[in-house]
Amino acid sequence: MVIPDRIVELIEGEAFMQIATRSDDRWPAHAWVVGGRVHDDRRTVTVFIAAAAAQPNVANLEANGRIALGVALATHEAYQLKGSYVSSRPTTADDRARQEHYRAALLAGALAAGYPEPIARPFTLGFAYDPGIAITFRVDEAFLQTPGPAAGTPLT
Amino acid sequence: MGILPDNIKPAMQGVIPSHVVTCSAAGTPNASVISQVYYVDGDHVALSHQFFNKTKRNVEENPRAAVWLIHPETYEGWELHAEFERSETSGPVFDAMDMQIEAIASLVGMKGIFKLRAADVFRVISVKRGTGDRMPLAEIR
Repeated sequence: MVIPDRIVELIEGEAFMQIATRSDDRWPAHAWVVGGRVHDDRRTVTVFIAAAAAQPNVANLEANGRIALGVALATHEAYQLKGSYVSSRPTTADDRARQEHYRAALLAGALAAGYPEPIARPFTLGFAYDPGIAITFRVDEAFLQTPGPAAGTPLT
Repeated sequence: MGILPDNIKPAMQGVIPSHVVTCSAAGTPNASVISQVYYVDGDHVALSHQFFNKTKRNVEENPRAAVWLIHPETYEGWELHAEFERSETSGPVFDAMDMQIEAIASLVGMKGIFKLRAADVFRVISVKRGTGDRMPLAEIR
């Protein structure tokens, strides 16, 4: 599917993001995402996670390919993408430059949403990212996840 | 004495939202932010169920969940692996969580939207302190 404009904006902006994967015996696994980008085809996403959090997620992806990406603002606006694994690799200097931009935006967004600086700063800047792993996946589905009765609505 | 250490309790105060990941019977993972992880006893936590959502449907199909928490003083990550046991819609755990959800909703401007439908009780299988995705506090800049 083509990723909606708003979700592209958030992935490349100031959203808190996390991935979910699962093992073959269906134990889920989690990792925080520190920055990401949507590719020109608007169907493929690369997200960056700490190398120390890569396992078991990368092993899960190599085994079964199933991934979800939660995308949420401090204001509670939230979305979820479901997709299929394409590849993973160590992050590059270009990725890290993108991550530095992301970290600054994440802190600014949390402060703008009203989080006190003594909480917002260590929380947003404390996500490990170097060394990192870039995970690329193709997006199959997107859902609204903002808390409320419409949460779970598929987006086209 | 259960599997949950006492020093995890501050991470369950709701200062910073927690995350829960689940997986459907068909094998599709799901990632969700959760308002509250409540310490029930040394072996159980309760997750706030506020909407009829994918997390709820998934744990009814496949009880396995991973819960990510952050300590509000050390900013360390903690991860629990847990299995869904039951939903409670009344009683002391539900009442305590309901009161806390009201307080969280007021703080974050979601009053009237955050409403507890059930306290979903999970048995904790494993606890991991230090999840690899957080820097030591002294290195954060």
